[in-house]
Amino acid sequence: MEAESPRTDSTTTGQSGSLVAGVSNKVGSVLVVGSGISGMQAALDLANGGYYVYLLDSEPAIGGLMSKLDKTFPTNDCAMCVMSPKLVDCGRHLNIELVTYADVKNIEGVPGNYNVEIVRKAKSVDEEKCTGCGDCVTGCPSRYVVRPPDEAAQYAPELTADDKDFVDRLLREEPDVEGNLLAVLQDVSEYCRFLPEHVLKYVSDATGIPLARMISIATFYDAFSLEPRGEHTISVCMGTACHVKGSGLLQSRLQDILQIGNGETTTDGKFTLQTVRCIGCCALAPAVRIDDETFGFVMVRGLEKILKRF
Amino acid sequence: MARINTQAEFERVAKEAAGRYWGRGLTVRVGMASCGLAAGANALYDVAAERVKGNGNGLSLSRVGCRGSCVVEPMVDVVSPDFHLTFGNVTKAGLESIIDAAQANDFSSFEDADAVWQERDAPRTDGTLYTTRRGTHAQIPDISAIPFYAPQRKIVTRNCGLIDPFDIEESLARDGYAALVKVLTENDPEGVIETVLASGLRGRGGAGFPTGRKWALTREAAGDEKYVFVNADEGDPGAFMDRSVLESDPHAVLEGLAIGAFAIGASEGIVYVRAEYPLAVQTLRNAIVQAREYGFLGENILGTSFSFDVSIRIGAGAFVCGEETALIASAEGRVGEPRPRPPYPAQSGYKGAPTVINNVKTWSAVAPIILNGAEWFAEVGTESSKGTAVFCVTGTIKNTGLVEVPMGMTLREIIYDVGGGPERAGSEIKAVQTGGPSGGCLPKDQFDLAVDYEKLTEAGSMMGSGGMIVVDDRTCMVSLAKFFLNFTMDESCGKCTPCREGTRRMHDLLEKITSGEGTEEDIAFLEELASYVKDTSLCGLGATAPNPVLSTLKYFRDEYDAHIRERRCPAGECEALISFRVVPDKCTVCGACAKVCPVNAVVEAGKAPPTIDQDACTRCRTCFEVCPSDAILIE
Ligand SMILES: Cc1cc2nc3c(=O)[nH]c(=O)nc-3n(C[C@H](O)[C@H](O)[C@H](O)COP(=O)(O)O)c2cc1C
Ligand code: FES
Repeated sequence: MEAESPRTDSTTTGQSGSLVAGVSNKVGSVLVVGSGISGMQAALDLANGGYYVYLLDSEPAIGGLMSKLDKTFPTNDCAMCVMSPKLVDCGRHLNIELVTYADVKNIEGVPGNYNVEIVRKAKSVDEEKCTGCGDCVTGCPSRYVVRPPDEAAQYAPELTADDKDFVDRLLREEPDVEGNLLAVLQDVSEYCRFLPEHVLKYVSDATGIPLARMISIATFYDAFSLEPRGEHTISVCMGTACHVKGSGLLQSRLQDILQIGNGETTTDGKFTLQTVRCIGCCALAPAVRIDDETFGFVMVRGLEKILKRF
Repeated sequence: MARINTQAEFERVAKEAAGRYWGRGLTVRVGMASCGLAAGANALYDVAAERVKGNGNGLSLSRVGCRGSCVVEPMVDVVSPDFHLTFGNVTKAGLESIIDAAQANDFSSFEDADAVWQERDAPRTDGTLYTTRRGTHAQIPDISAIPFYAPQRKIVTRNCGLIDPFDIEESLARDGYAALVKVLTENDPEGVIETVLASGLRGRGGAGFPTGRKWALTREAAGDEKYVFVNADEGDPGAFMDRSVLESDPHAVLEGLAIGAFAIGASEGIVYVRAEYPLAVQTLRNAIVQAREYGFLGENILGTSFSFDVSIRIGAGAFVCGEETALIASAEGRVGEPRPRPPYPAQSGYKGAPTVINNVKTWSAVAPIILNGAEWFAEVGTESSKGTAVFCVTGTIKNTGLVEVPMGMTLREIIYDVGGGPERAGSEIKAVQTGGPSGGCLPKDQFDLAVDYEKLTEAGSMMGSGGMIVVDDRTCMVSLAKFFLNFTMDESCGKCTPCREGTRRMHDLLEKITSGEGTEEDIAFLEELASYVKDTSLCGLGATAPNPVLSTLKYFRDEYDAHIRERRCPAGECEALISFRVVPDKCTVCGACAKVCPVNAVVEAGKAPPTIDQDACTRCRTCFEVCPSDAILIE
């Protein structure tokens, strides 16, 4: 779809030239990209000021992040109480047109006079008739993984036979996968050294546990990684005792030696560098653990020697 | 081993185990908890194993847990029915000569070794007194003359470092499971709760809720299924008491857990251990298998109708999972986010059933209380805090390690007598931090404070689970407060906004101050934010997160002022505010600093002292640390 600049108010008086000059020569309507609380407020202000506003969002609904929050900081106001009136206003305002489930593809022009190309994703919903009752969402058989068909093809299982055997055995031996999901993911993570998406997908298909739930666990706990990890994991302790004894210097020196940042893996795939919060060897601070081996009283000077052993 | 089904059978097995344990010939015990292993205990074990295999002469070998004095690891005990000697800082060659000396029973050459002491074992509850033959090793001091050990009173860590954690028999030899058998024989669950209540035992996990009350509430709560949990998700950085107990004496925890389960009417127990403690998990797994084998876990324990079993859940690296409601969520396989209380787990916990959650040390203290009576326990400690406190004394102090002292001891006694004072000669201890990220920093002039739950809280810190980090004048208190906020900011689960956003903002402000851009208003804003975060957070993590900031503001305001008004870091730690300089008068031009500088910022000048190129310098401190003549000055 093409969002040209249709409505009135072409106050074309000036000339072209500097960008600043261009700003005062506004033509057409305004496009607000992103319909979070600030986007909505901007759209309402503009609409009340007489501009025609296209309010665009990549999500199927407007509202953004704030609609997912319980309270807001620091006043502890209820988030929905603040934003609901604005949601309704945006939906009803005659000067606002909602363009949801859409992305900006291309922008041309100068400030004050843009041409924007927008890709609208298929909703397969007649918006004129829809009342937003939500029945289709709860009834959808594949509601947890919404993917267009061509993209979904990429997610066909690409498990090797070994992986498959491992996961099958794991699931067979665990009577209560749902209750022990954490333990199952820990086993997968130990076996694969990280949590590959296709394996999670396979577990999800086999058990009916939504992929989203696994991802939410994987991103919550530090022990999991969705990225491949190196052969050896270097854990620099950033606990209090180690901090007081200067573990920060160890960490920055390791980053220099290995040429990677925290949480990253060397290009040769040998080391992954991470920080941990206390490995319980505080009396030997500063402590560094590589795989299962713990080194105590580590000095900046001694790091290279330790790394050579791996 | 067949299951033990009666009290008489148990007594026979325990007696035999004790006979073997106390009567064992010359034995080398290598301390192989995590700290020992990190210090090289494995190599020592191999040396001793070689000796046993070779010309052993009746020599035997066992692995034990942690004795507490981690700073002198690796440690080796040499034990025979006649003596019990402990050696610290043992090298491979040293071990050879220790074994030689033990076999000849002539330790005269060990007078000056780094750490040597002999131990008389404590009287056992049955009244038998086992002592070393006094006078045999007159030149070696008795354990009661070692300042680190003398004031300690071991209840929770009673067996740590004295038994092989992988052998249930050694635990039985030291009264393991005797309390469980007593409880099952008397068959009076309410009586158990009364004893625990009367002993005044309070939770060792931080908040200090009376354990007996918690148990009584859970017992009274409606529900057929009840659960008991061990909270071993020791997330407090700088503390390792729970790890040490699990690695050294897992049966003490399992026994306490079984007693608790019997008292409240639970048939399932779960130990939630953090993944960072692989050895603790291994020890615990083995202990559970052995306890099942002997019939201390499983169906119809000791022939009674009481059935109870234990499983392990492994955490995945989230501090907030130590909070009880988050721990339950995590054990149920969900994201470990806390939920508002009430309802408390005592009413609705694991799978909605009444649940008791106690810390490792709380469980471990249960069996001795049952065995020796409530009065015995209540005699130790202060009016409101009974028994002992287990602390991990770490930081810039001489004797880092694990100590168990009676409640009511002053901080000064712990730091200077047990801890041995500052690590570096000439430096001064500035503050002590207790309670981890939820606690606070107490300055020198508060060191006469007696350690108990109320007194520490009043002073602006808290008991916490037992981390005690000592800092000297080289640690910047603003930077320490920033460190803790960085921790809580990272570990905030993000469920509630005050904690998620508030800690971040506070951290930003501290970052601003430590990088020398702070203003006076920042402090006022910091205090205001702190009060919001404290009052409005959902769980204990956020509600206590401002404590390190508030306590440092209260006691170390001068350091904040120096950062803001003078753009100076008095401790010489904040990188943006310091520079390094060579003091020509002290410099011996040895070249050590130039050799180690990773960025070649030390400019050598032939025979004259070098200078430091301030633009190139990354303030990594390496030169400062290697300089043999203290000629590098931090300004
Ligand atoms: C953020 C946070 C972290 C906690 N971490 C731990 C912990 O690591 N270990 C622990 O035993 N208790 C921890 N607790 C306390 C527990 O919620 C709970 O009070 C305790 O396990 C009860 O056992 P107790 O009565 O034996 O102390 C934590 C609490 C909070 C708010
Ligand atoms: S603080 Fe580093 S091991 Fe505990």
